[in-house]
Amino acid sequence: MTLTGRLRKLVLTAHVATSVGTLGAVAVFLVLSVVGLASEDAQLVRAVYPAMDLTARFVIVPSIFASLLIGLVQSLATPWGLFRHYWVLAKLLLTVLTIIVLLLQLDGIGYMAAVAAERELSSNDLLGLRRSLRFHAVGGLPVLLLTTTLSVYKPRGVTRYGWRKQHERAAPLPAADS
Amino acid sequence: MAEIPPYPGAPRWVKISAIIAGVLVLLVVILLLVGGGQHGPGRHLAANGADAETQADAQPQGDAR
Repeated sequence: MTLTGRLRKLVLTAHVATSVGTLGAVAVFLVLSVVGLASEDAQLVRAVYPAMDLTARFVIVPSIFASLLIGLVQSLATPWGLFRHYWVLAKLLLTVLTIIVLLLQLDGIGYMAAVAAERELSSNDLLGLRRSLRFHAVGGLPVLLLTTTLSVYKPRGVTRYGWRKQHERAAPLPAADS
Repeated sequence: MAEIPPYPGAPRWVKISAIIAGVLVLLVVILLLVGGGQHGPGRHLAANGADAETQADAQPQGDAR
């Protein structure tokens, strides 16, 4: 099946919305993790970690999975393909990597939220874990920015498989807005 | 059917990115090995929920009496 016309635009819109939504949510998560480390307001620190937990579980995880799923549909149902162009392949690998790291972080995020719900946190409490959450958010942001950049610039370069398919079918390249 | 022209190879940006990715993976592997192969939130936590740094801070520095 090949997506055409309005349906293609609709899927593209959904992909952009979920991808950029993930980027924004990770930026929010990063701000919260910095506030959790830097603020001296105990009530604010206690509020930050449950907020981070909610943001991760109900915004970041669903939006990045939706972005991956829609991206897969989009690539497989358009002439771009999933393994034909290096930029599509790079996006896939970066998104899968981000999802793995994110899922590994969920336990720690949940733990911090549970501790913050129970008691006040001193500036030294669980410092390693709190720094780890900030570190992974700092790392995730440029990766997501990179996937967005790849989508916009679509750098040239077809894989060996893409080269073969391109010449077997002699099909024209898809329009730049897809 | 016309013969397929020879594959021109991966573009430069792909090669440079692959090298950078390789270096980063190597760096992560080294960090994991140096850190005793443990990675993830669990490594920051002790059995009672306090992390290693908190526990170190909580150790008595001497007899206060």
